[in-house]
Amino acid sequence: MPPRERPLSPHLQIYRWQISNTLSVLHRATGAVLSLGLIVFVAWLIAAAAGPQAYARFAALIDGPLGFLVLAGFGFAFFYHLLNGVRHLAWDVGRGFGKRERRASGWLVVVGACALTALAIAFALHLGGSTHG
Amino acid sequence: MAEFKLPANSKVNKHGRVFKAPDGAKHVRRFRIYRYDPDSGENPRIDTYELDMDSCGPMVLDALIKIKNEIDPTLTFRRSCREGICGSCAMNIDGHNGLACICASDDIDGDVRISPLPHRPVVKDLVPDLTDFYAQYASIKPWLQTRTPAPPDRERLQSKADQQKVDRPSACILCACCSTSCPSYWWNSDRYLGPAALLAAYRWIVDSRDEATGERLDELEDPFRLYRCHTIMNCTEACPKDLNPAQAIGEIKQMLVRRRY
Repeated sequence: MPPRERPLSPHLQIYRWQISNTLSVLHRATGAVLSLGLIVFVAWLIAAAAGPQAYARFAALIDGPLGFLVLAGFGFAFFYHLLNGVRHLAWDVGRGFGKRERRASGWLVVVGACALTALAIAFALHLGGSTHG
Repeated sequence: MAEFKLPANSKVNKHGRVFKAPDGAKHVRRFRIYRYDPDSGENPRIDTYELDMDSCGPMVLDALIKIKNEIDPTLTFRRSCREGICGSCAMNIDGHNGLACICASDDIDGDVRISPLPHRPVVKDLVPDLTDFYAQYASIKPWLQTRTPAPPDRERLQSKADQQKVDRPSACILCACCSTSCPSYWWNSDRYLGPAALLAAYRWIVDSRDEATGERLDELEDPFRLYRCHTIMNCTEACPKDLNPAQAIGEIKQMLVRRRY
């Protein structure tokens, strides 16, 4: 019998989700979402450049609960990635490595991203309301 | 590319055994422990041991020793000092890397889940193969390197402030809790040095007596050896000695930038 290869011990399957590693995964995920979201953004620009009809078709596509969800998700990804990016910059200059600092800054980023997303949505709805009204 | 799933030979099978608590035990806790027997030809499994905590010491290591002594002598794990200074009993306890000897069972909610340090080849049960980990430590040349001859009549002296710079990083006991908690190390341990080796490198870089600082930094200036650190911070969260490998790595990155100007 050939010697059996040693098994690999469990890793992702068992490791506890903590604020630190959860936010790190979220940073990656929002980065990916932003890259994909760029396609939507470029589609919007192309539609705008192609004329009123094309733009109306795009607007119809994005107008609705699903479109709202996509744009809101894109907004959250943007604000989270931005704020957490600032957190990374602070680490790059050697700040915020202490236990209290890194936890507090993590929660601050989450709360901040939610607040900015809500603000952006409110602003967009306000703008939409004033154009239609 | 990161492989998120366990290979086929590493999946935990469902044939775990259950060892019931003795009759009349009042304060029973379940310990769910990863078992792998290289001689069985079978995949790893999770065995469940019910312990009467009224006759068991407070630490997770006490429970493991009780199991080995009284219930199942085949359970295999490393241990030595039982006071958090040797680093032998490093393992994953309740999803978090730490030393079994200084981790109280009472601090854990529900069943106590124990598995070997993550993403390592398993020799047996809770004993991981740390050969690569030690080789990486050796690769950063963890000794004093000098060019100038030592003073003939005394040691190489340093100021109190300079000594303080190495106090904390030299408290590392090489238990591997940090490196094996790091997802970057999981996916790239063949090329990324990992937090423990980098903390050791830092310890020699900031040592005022060491004269190979430039070479040490040259060695680390590499997309994988150093820069696979993405400041996830699992290392610092895991360190049972409360050291901060993430900060040490951050400072090395800063030194690499500063020396260009």
